[in-house]
Amino acid sequence: MRNRRFPARTAAAILAAGLAGAALAAASTDGKWAGSRSPAVHRIPLMDEFNQKIVPTEKNPYPFSTRFTCAPCHVYETIAGGRHFNASMKGAPAGRPGEPWIWLDERTGTQIPISERTWPGIFKPADLGLTAWNLTVLFGRHLPGGGSAEPAAKDETPESRWTVSGKAEINCLACHNASKLQDHSEWAMQMLRENFRWAATAAAGFGEVGGMASRLKATWDLADGPNPDDSEWAVVPTVKYDPALFDSKFAAFFDLAYPPKDRSCLACHANTPAGSRKFEFDDDVHTAAGIACASCHRNDITHDTIRGYEGEDKDNPKLASADFTCRACHIGEENRKGLGRAGRMGAPFPKHKGFPEVHFERLACTVCHSGPLPAAEPARVRTARANRLGIFGKADWSTELPVTVEPVYRRDTNGKLTPHRMMWPAYWGTLEQGLVKPLRPEVVQTAAGEILFPELAITRILAALGGLPGLEGQPVLVTDGRYYEANIDGGLTSFPAAGDPAAAGWFFASVKDGRIKPFWPDFDPANAEAAAEPETAMQPALEALAAMAGAPGAPAVIYKGYQYRLVDGALEKTEKKDAAAAGTAWLWLKDDTRLPMLSDLEREAVSSLTGTEKRLTESQVSRVLELLARQGSKNPVYISDGKLFRLDEKGRLEAANHPAAEPVAWPMAHQVRPARQALGWNGCTDCHSVSSNFFFSRVEAQGPLLTSKAASAAGVSFMKLNIPYHRLFGLSYLGRPYFKIVLGIAAFLIGAILLAALVQAVGRWSGLAEKRKSTP
Amino acid sequence: MTAFIIIACAGLTGTIFLRTALRFRAFHPKFGAGAYLKWLGIRIKGVFSKAFIDRSLKLWTAWLGERYPGWLKWIFFAFAAAFLYLAASGLFYAIFIRRGMFGLPLLAHVMGGGLFALGLAAVLMLRARTYRPDESGAAVSEMIACPVFKKASRAAVTKALFWIFATLGFVQVVTALCSMLPVFTFNTQVDLIMIHRYSALGLVLTAIVFFDIAILDRPQTPRG
Repeated sequence: MRNRRFPARTAAAILAAGLAGAALAAASTDGKWAGSRSPAVHRIPLMDEFNQKIVPTEKNPYPFSTRFTCAPCHVYETIAGGRHFNASMKGAPAGRPGEPWIWLDERTGTQIPISERTWPGIFKPADLGLTAWNLTVLFGRHLPGGGSAEPAAKDETPESRWTVSGKAEINCLACHNASKLQDHSEWAMQMLRENFRWAATAAAGFGEVGGMASRLKATWDLADGPNPDDSEWAVVPTVKYDPALFDSKFAAFFDLAYPPKDRSCLACHANTPAGSRKFEFDDDVHTAAGIACASCHRNDITHDTIRGYEGEDKDNPKLASADFTCRACHIGEENRKGLGRAGRMGAPFPKHKGFPEVHFERLACTVCHSGPLPAAEPARVRTARANRLGIFGKADWSTELPVTVEPVYRRDTNGKLTPHRMMWPAYWGTLEQGLVKPLRPEVVQTAAGEILFPELAITRILAALGGLPGLEGQPVLVTDGRYYEANIDGGLTSFPAAGDPAAAGWFFASVKDGRIKPFWPDFDPANAEAAAEPETAMQPALEALAAMAGAPGAPAVIYKGYQYRLVDGALEKTEKKDAAAAGTAWLWLKDDTRLPMLSDLEREAVSSLTGTEKRLTESQVSRVLELLARQGSKNPVYISDGKLFRLDEKGRLEAANHPAAEPVAWPMAHQVRPARQALGWNGCTDCHSVSSNFFFSRVEAQGPLLTSKAASAAGVSFMKLNIPYHRLFGLSYLGRPYFKIVLGIAAFLIGAILLAALVQAVGRWSGLAEKRKSTP
Repeated sequence: MTAFIIIACAGLTGTIFLRTALRFRAFHPKFGAGAYLKWLGIRIKGVFSKAFIDRSLKLWTAWLGERYPGWLKWIFFAFAAAFLYLAASGLFYAIFIRRGMFGLPLLAHVMGGGLFALGLAAVLMLRARTYRPDESGAAVSEMIACPVFKKASRAAVTKALFWIFATLGFVQVVTALCSMLPVFTFNTQVDLIMIHRYSALGLVLTAIVFFDIAILDRPQTPRG
């Protein structure tokens, strides 16, 4: 056990911090650039969170602290106000909408957009009862530290475990470490283990971090050190530094990148078309040209990073953001008509031949140049933060939900049409005075019980049947032409039941090499001699089910009008005239009541949802709404797929429009396509035609619910434009080539007559005409 | 855009004032502001009287009948209707709507532009010979009088206005056509629109003066 030297270290830290603060105040730490263009080599001592120098060879050294390691030269508090770190702080400046955090709980079909920034349709964490601790646990995987991951003492809530986990300080190295050892996956893993104070050390590759703070008692403290009595489960996080990284004075070399490398940005800001293959993916045209993310998205020591949208300079006058918009680089000084300088770094000047001026007044550059080309439906896109991309390991961390689509053209805050990414919120809630108040997923899970776990009944049975003696292959459920086998994650994986005759109904069987084999062969129960062998095979199955933990009754099988069950360990066979004369029925017998082993709701849910991204069926939603109402929730509703679902007076599920179900959207700018792939390159009809994808793509709401009632709208409706007019306008382009010919002919005739008149007038006024007349 | 609005308002107001003032002076040699305004009020009020409408129709019928006999009058009607719509919609949106023209009025403006172009070509083919630049009557009209062309004959001014109108119409058609072609850069497009706008204003002012001199102030002998 480590010595308890915490008070002394704390005192030393406070003293050191005070001295450092005084020194910094005296030094030039205002971020002014002296002019040197060579980067400083960072060979510096690592300091721990008590501002003590880390000696890697010491027993159980602490993780390094960016606050104290970087602080002598860089003012931590100044950096802490930067855009990446204030994102999760209350009262964070908004600017134009950006991608929110999405609280995803797949089991309850919850996907709630969250941000501390005030954006339309986005929930504030406090609205959902989310504390800084919750936010860090939920989103720490893609947080850069600071903000909610490093709350002030007043923001520490009782349920939090900051004393155990420590706080995740701003992880400077997440962006600025150029070393190939910098590992975002390691960061995510450490954050999910609640090893907050260790995460930066592990992710930077300075050392190995073992242990898991999430398993420690809430009373554990850093000063307690490792627990020698538990090296298996509640292992205290420790660091084992790589001594090769340190010199003899224990200064470590930081391979830093200023500005950050693209790969650092993409760890959290990547977005890729869903379902695309990696080798098919093209970079943004700027990236392909060698321009880095930070070439445009710059910041000074305040880390108030430029987002690069038009009007950002008004939202944040301190920033020189107007210099880094599309226009600033590509158009240059306006109103100079070629006399002004070219744009920043002389970026290619767009001639935009044939484009009426209105396009530049009403459309953002990104409409034509960014994102996928408009198709019949917007494309699905996966983003790093929403779909948990960029976290590598044996398990697939990425999620299909939430579904985000792009491009959907909407008005930006400046009134210009701008391509947006769009997702539809989904959550359970109560409807009170016209407003939907969300219910937290755990509340819904408690109320709904196993309704939200339809596969559970099946996996339990399959697990029980898996222990059958002599079983060949895996036990499976066969239904609706597919078979379902339990997977390693506790769920089900489905496969087509090729060649199986049972397309209707359901039964349990075993499968080997893709071939389904019933537990017993087809037989005639009335023929005692022929039935003897199959009945012998039936008994172990019933015994296995009877031994199953949590079995709701005694297992029984009804086969061709005969019921089989175990009585005192022996198989009892009874003719049941009320039972179906064909097929097999698997039952639980409880107080002489026959309960199907699988309810219709479970079977339908598993059959419809397995292998899809959908998480709920309408039957499940109806049932959960009933249960929520029964348990006291007033007017329970479920929001998904752009609709509000509730039970009508007759208990039927109805879908209604409601503002709470409206999609959430944020402008997008990347990937930028080359000019030759811009909209309009092939002419006006790229957009202006009767059925153009630009105006008339179909935007179908996407959510966790399997429903045919999802909201659907034409793309043009999001533009707040008149649909019939744009159909008519598009139609006019059918005749436009001929119209131009007519205008051309008219212009030629008028011009010819004018020329003739001019010649005549000149001849007359110059006297040449008179002279010609008088010439014999 | 503000400059255009100021110039357009000043141009329209000035032209209308000048034309009405000259007309007033032709009958009232001693010009007085009060008398002028009173006269103007009476004339404006008279515009809504049945007698005025009857007289106007008679005048129009006679004027059209002389120049566009038979079915040719329909060409002129179409041309005039297109011109009136183009002028009204163009000026209204340019002066009063900050966003400029959009939607159905714009679509109609484009269509009207085609009709105007065809109409102008037809009118020129039919009437260019009449207005060819040659010797004209020397009668100086009081209503033409202006500081620059004090001694210009009515016929010469009418011809000049006709050709100015034709030239500006040509500019209108060409700038509209060029704007539709994927040839000119954005800056050129902006310039084309400005040219279109100012030439349209010139066209309207020319039409007003031409209408006043060539039609309202017609001498008894036709062919003016």
